[in-house]
Amino acid sequence: MKQKEMIVKNILNSLVPILAAFILGGIIILAIGENPFTTYGILIRKSLFTWKGFLNTLHYATPLILTGLAIAVTFKANVYNMGVEGQMLLGGFFAGVAGAYLPLSTPLVGKLICFVIAALCGMLFALPPALLKARYQVNEMVVTLMLNYAVAKTLEFLTTGVFRDKSAGYVATPVISDTIMFQRIGSSRITAFFGMALIILFLMYILMNHSKLGFEMKAIGKNAEFAEATGMNVGKKIIILMLLSGALSGIAGAGWMMSDQFKYTLSFSENPGLGWDGMLISLLGSHSPIEILIASIFYAALKTGSDSINMYTSVPKEIVEIIQAIIILFLAVKFIKEKTGRKNRWKQSRKEAE
Amino acid sequence: MELLCNILYDTIYHSTPIILCVLGGLFAYRANVLNIALEGMMLNAAFVSVLVQYLTGNIFLAVLAAIVSTMLWGMVFSALGISFKGNVIVIGLGINLMTLAISKFVLKIMSLANISLKNIGAADFKIDIPLIKAIPILNVISGHPLITYIAFLAIVFVGILMYQTKFGVYVRVVGENEDSAISLGINSVYYKYAAVLLGSFFCALAGINLSLERMAMFTGGMTAGRGFIAIAAIYCGQGKPVVSAGYAILFGVARALAINLSIYAGPAAGMFDIIPYVLMVIVLAVVSYLKSKNEKLRIYKL
Repeated sequence: MKQKEMIVKNILNSLVPILAAFILGGIIILAIGENPFTTYGILIRKSLFTWKGFLNTLHYATPLILTGLAIAVTFKANVYNMGVEGQMLLGGFFAGVAGAYLPLSTPLVGKLICFVIAALCGMLFALPPALLKARYQVNEMVVTLMLNYAVAKTLEFLTTGVFRDKSAGYVATPVISDTIMFQRIGSSRITAFFGMALIILFLMYILMNHSKLGFEMKAIGKNAEFAEATGMNVGKKIIILMLLSGALSGIAGAGWMMSDQFKYTLSFSENPGLGWDGMLISLLGSHSPIEILIASIFYAALKTGSDSINMYTSVPKEIVEIIQAIIILFLAVKFIKEKTGRKNRWKQSRKEAE
Repeated sequence: MELLCNILYDTIYHSTPIILCVLGGLFAYRANVLNIALEGMMLNAAFVSVLVQYLTGNIFLAVLAAIVSTMLWGMVFSALGISFKGNVIVIGLGINLMTLAISKFVLKIMSLANISLKNIGAADFKIDIPLIKAIPILNVISGHPLITYIAFLAIVFVGILMYQTKFGVYVRVVGENEDSAISLGINSVYYKYAAVLLGSFFCALAGINLSLERMAMFTGGMTAGRGFIAIAAIYCGQGKPVVSAGYAILFGVARALAINLSIYAGPAAGMFDIIPYVLMVIVLAVVSYLKSKNEKLRIYKL
């Protein structure tokens, strides 16, 4: 009974912000003299209600599932790893470099090597903020944000200099070798990477809900000092969670490289970036794996739909970014949970008084 | 000699927006409402000031619009975060994304890649100080836009406001122990709102300085993480106005060095851009290490 109530509350808590955001977005669309209903119709129809469009949406959702999970494992423990974007870029870049320069002849082993390299790169990024947080209580959010900028600048430097493909007409690294590219299935863009993301999602579901680490994650998130008092080594757990988050982000980047981009360009993850999108998805899915899957598909639909908006209407596709930001703003406030929580508490305290 | 002067001048030049952001974030930090929307608020002011100047050509209106709109974001932040008790970090990120998206959206509607002002230039804003202008080396202090002078004076002002006035004491009490503050009859919500709004005012100045005064133009995402650097500086200085501003200036130094020395670096010049960010991480780590060395607690503390 109680669990059912929780699920309903969670769903409502995600739906109310989405509705509010679409209404506000509609007002903006009206203000620039367009019809919001036709715009939203185009936004949703192409990306969700045609078979090919839906498969494309799933393709774009794939890296988002992974970055969403990467955010969820740390946010759940009240650790704010804002470096997912940077970790993802780092993973993607070095997977791309390895894919282009290493002699990888067998598809499976080659892909595996690239994924391992990317995961290691992501973990390497996550390690300093994790150590600083665990040892000296340095705010991990600030450190990861700073490192994001440093990584983006470094990769820009490497792409324009050392690893630049001179034959390409624009700034890019060499294209990765054919053997490690994920093959498209049918006429849509979807690849086996989607299946891989689902497997990882399943593993993460078990880890987060049915394992010791998952329990500890929640305990740290609820009250770190209490968790420490019960004998948990919170510092060590935070390092593990950060490394896990880094690895997931790195894999997301590598997969995106091998299934869609094939080379590192300066717009590898576009704006605001797969890592930032992952944060919205994780918030939207209240940091639980199954809901993250739904949220990332919804979100990818918005993203693919925004291109159709650009084509068929005069509304700039940036409207989707505005809607996303409004969703985040409203998501921060748990309207429903907050209220019933207080009411229940009040009821409980009355019962105790009697 | 000229290089030294350039570095000093650029230090002041690049420190200004970060100092203002630091001052903006300080009160919120001390009131225990971590405002990571500094970045977005600054971007909003940068955008609105240039946009209004571009549309109306009235500088007074441009500055006013920037300040008012940024303080409105401050109101949004406080309403959601303080009154509705939302997660302030998520709200801050939401505002950061929101202001960025709005600026991109409006630029797209106006079909412009960036706004650069024609009838007014960065040189028009520069103010020379009569006597100091003639002294070598010291003349780097002269020739800055108005808000730069305000920023450095504001460090002193904020220091006084924080430690010598009732307002400052109450803000700090609310931040350190809200329950005790309420039990003493202090309206904690009011002081939190005031702290955030004061912060958004300073961020507005930072944004105006960044776009309108310094370059007379706006490009998307021109704040480039300065708001987050300001937060790092606040953490390094543990919320003390003068110390935190000092770290902001340290960043300015790093930036000035990176720009002036990259001329001599040849192809590696691109790597100089990362110096300020990495420096900030190292400083933060060292400061936190020194701080934790003095604490003899074994337990994990957030």
